[in-house]
Amino acid sequence: MTNVLLIIFTISLLYLGIGHRLLTYIKILAFQGIILFGIAFIELIQINALNLAFVLLETIVFKTLAIPLFLNYVMKRNRITRDAEPFLPNFISLIIITLIIIATFILSNAIGDSRISKIYFVVSLSTLFTGLYIIVTRNKIITHVMGYLVIENGVFILSLAVGNEMPMLVNLGILLDIFASIFLLGIFVNRIGDVLKDVDVDQLKNLKD
Amino acid sequence: MISFILIILASIFFSGIIIRTKSITSGRKGPGIFQPIKDIIRLLRKGSVYSKTSSIIFQIAPSIYFASIVMAIMVIPFGQYKGIISFEGDFVFFASVLGTGKFFSIISALDTGSSFGGMGASREALFSMFAEPAFFILMGSFSLLTGHTSFQQIFASLHFGSYISYILGALATFVLVMITVVENSRMPIDDPNTHLELTMVHEVMILDNSGFDLGMISYATNLKFAMYGALIANLFMGSFPLYLSMPIFFGIQIIFAIAVGFLESFTARFRMNHNAQYILALSSVSLLIFLGVLLVLGQFS
Repeated sequence: MTNVLLIIFTISLLYLGIGHRLLTYIKILAFQGIILFGIAFIELIQINALNLAFVLLETIVFKTLAIPLFLNYVMKRNRITRDAEPFLPNFISLIIITLIIIATFILSNAIGDSRISKIYFVVSLSTLFTGLYIIVTRNKIITHVMGYLVIENGVFILSLAVGNEMPMLVNLGILLDIFASIFLLGIFVNRIGDVLKDVDVDQLKNLKD
Repeated sequence: MISFILIILASIFFSGIIIRTKSITSGRKGPGIFQPIKDIIRLLRKGSVYSKTSSIIFQIAPSIYFASIVMAIMVIPFGQYKGIISFEGDFVFFASVLGTGKFFSIISALDTGSSFGGMGASREALFSMFAEPAFFILMGSFSLLTGHTSFQQIFASLHFGSYISYILGALATFVLVMITVVENSRMPIDDPNTHLELTMVHEVMILDNSGFDLGMISYATNLKFAMYGALIANLFMGSFPLYLSMPIFFGIQIIFAIAVGFLESFTARFRMNHNAQYILALSSVSLLIFLGVLLVLGQFS
């Protein structure tokens, strides 16, 4: 069953490439949170119950509910416009994300470690590179944060792959999540939108002295 | 032979069910289920008008288009019974013969000499080009999974033992439904009702056809729907005996028609330049199905 959920997770990455509005990104992040909840529920049966309950609660509360709602609030508060403003057209994004998935598949075959299941490796690496691609090719600061959240989902999947042997690694993945929430809180509290009067990444270079 | 007869039977009511579903979801009652067939019979009785700027291509292309679809229908099996034509690698023949028909309809649209024809031909060619890899990758994954290359052998040995083959079947159904929508130019790729330059893709190509040719082309659309519905039904029929598989076949065709009707009623058409991305996304999804099949088999390239 986890294989199915991981394939559906990878399909959601493709839709991340062709989405036009910021709301689409937020919905995909929430959907990925639900899938990670399902995977964690099925996979991590050997760690103790308290740890498992914490992981499941964190996945549902943070990844599915709190962060999307918070992103919505930040968007409304800073009056960020709806469009995602990519540098490259969405068509090329789709081709590049497909190439990323194929490349990670070939890479995982070349490495061929027997201790980690191949599908986890492929899905988490492609999520990582897709998140990096989204950070690089979008104009706005808020999509920078969303790309970071996608990278963090990828790291979480990789930690789930060995989560039965090393439960502390899963907790580290969760800490990354909480770090991203503080990051968002930083944008909100400092009101980067108000200070720079523009939510373009280009304006960040004015911060150097 | 049996699948040929059943597909022709299913094509009679397919379009009527789609129109009926769309009417009921809009709150009306709608025309009868056999109304499109009556329209087609009325068209078949009329004569065609050919313009002076068109050549022989415009006159023979609808017949070639119709003939290619009839040949493609002959390949489709029915559970464990073979189609009329069946050989190793016949799904490539299936795609190629459909491509020949589409090529002739594209050049006949260009032959009319109007700019509408050129526009429709280029859009149709682009969308079909992006939907081709989706179909080939899907059939390729199934033939990899079962080890055979002929339609009938693939569907006969596709037993749904483990859960992952159910999921593959569900994903393949989704991709096949979307390929049907692309090939027949329905919503959300194209709107069959409007005839405005901004919004039509397939209707442009048949804008200048009339009478008998138009009747053949309209019936060919119904046949294509029933053909893809038969492909989807074959995924689920397996090797049931005849008295079980015929109701399953017709049930799946009716459910498919109702699903296409719902899809048409509740989605708006995409912007024209977003259509290409959407269709390419289908090819990427079928690539994921291929990777999933490689995973199931435990053998990697």
